[in-house]
Amino acid sequence: MRASILKQGTVLIASVQGSMTDADLAQMRDELVANVRRYRSTGVIIDVTLLDVMDSFAARTLRGIAQMIKLLGATAIIVGIQPEVAFSMVQLGLTLEGINTALDLEEGLALLKPPGIAVHER
Amino acid sequence: MAEQETAAVGIDQAGGRIEISQQELDLRKRFLELGEDDVGRLTGINDLARRYANGVIDDFYRHLMSFGETRGFFADPQVLARVKNMQKEYFLRLTQGNYDLDYVRDRLRIGAIHERVQLPVKSYLGMYNFYLRAVAQRLADAFKKKPDDGWAAFLSLMKLTFLDIGIAIDTYIESRERTIRTQQEAFQELPTPVLPFREGMLIVPIIGIIDSQRARQLTEQLLSSIRSNRAKMVVIDITGVQSIDSKVANHIVQTVEAARLMGARVIIAGISPEIAQTMVTLGIDLARVLTVGDLQSGIERAEQMLGYTVTRSGAAEAVGG
Repeated sequence: MRASILKQGTVLIASVQGSMTDADLAQMRDELVANVRRYRSTGVIIDVTLLDVMDSFAARTLRGIAQMIKLLGATAIIVGIQPEVAFSMVQLGLTLEGINTALDLEEGLALLKPPGIAVHER
Repeated sequence: MAEQETAAVGIDQAGGRIEISQQELDLRKRFLELGEDDVGRLTGINDLARRYANGVIDDFYRHLMSFGETRGFFADPQVLARVKNMQKEYFLRLTQGNYDLDYVRDRLRIGAIHERVQLPVKSYLGMYNFYLRAVAQRLADAFKKKPDDGWAAFLSLMKLTFLDIGIAIDTYIESRERTIRTQQEAFQELPTPVLPFREGMLIVPIIGIIDSQRARQLTEQLLSSIRSNRAKMVVIDITGVQSIDSKVANHIVQTVEAARLMGARVIIAGISPEIAQTMVTLGIDLARVLTVGDLQSGIERAEQMLGYTVTRSGAAEAVGG
């Protein structure tokens, strides 16, 4: 199943589906990188909430995407890694070092909020 | 008889059970070299035993009552009378033959009673010794003409008494082991609370021994609490942990990294000098783990990273004033 990529202002949000083949992941990578350039996005959030297994290929791909996006001048954040997935990942040594992570989409968006712009409720 | 081979008797003590099988009983008898000859000799002195029973019992309790420690068990004269009677039965049973599983069951029961009233083992053994000496004297008197027979009967009695002692001590040991087991279980069940301290911040105090099982449980609990509390900072306080092994230390490092994957940073507070030494000696890489000296520093650091500033208000003057 292909990943869905949404554009929300300057942020791109990619939702990884529960069942994604290696080809799907590679395609998501290509689309994301192209879209960051096209929309001049400042941030990319990759939501993996639905992912119940993270193998080494997926982890390596996600890491690669994050590094590419960084090279393009944007920030990538991986959100929604579930507790069980997180622990099995570190057991496999897939620690996604140097990559930003957040609990969920909401937290990820909060991290991307550009400094100096604050929204106040009255 | 074939049915007897697989039979076993047991006695339930509060929460525990001692079981002695026919096989085990046979083994114990063989070890003591307690055979049919002995049974014959023991039943042979049964009449004699009936005659001296009261005298032995009286001597026995006179001796017991001369010690404060054992006197305390028989403060009530009614209790004393009953116990004396039971003790007489017990002694007489020694010379009535049929040292089978029923016999063992009876002995287990008596051992359990003594254990329950917490009669010290030393007193228990002392009583057996006193009994054997009291009987030895009477056997010597009765077998004046045939001292060899008297001696043989005494040896048989001693074998049987030692069978009893073995069974009685088992009830004591079982009770001890049960206590140890209960404590171990209680220890393992020590909860590791994950405490929400501020919005987005958890504190996890760990006390006692962390073994692999507890470490795993802690990880599961922590990671799911991070999700449910939407925590960004976690302070794990291990001031109350005395020692740690490489497996558990690695597990903690993995937990810290898993938490990071979920968007939470973990601070480890209160690493003792011993644990610091162990960690370095074991070569555990803590470079990616944020560590601070104590819980206070941990909380302050976490607050700082979350953007909290804690200030003292004037009202504090009222405290202790």
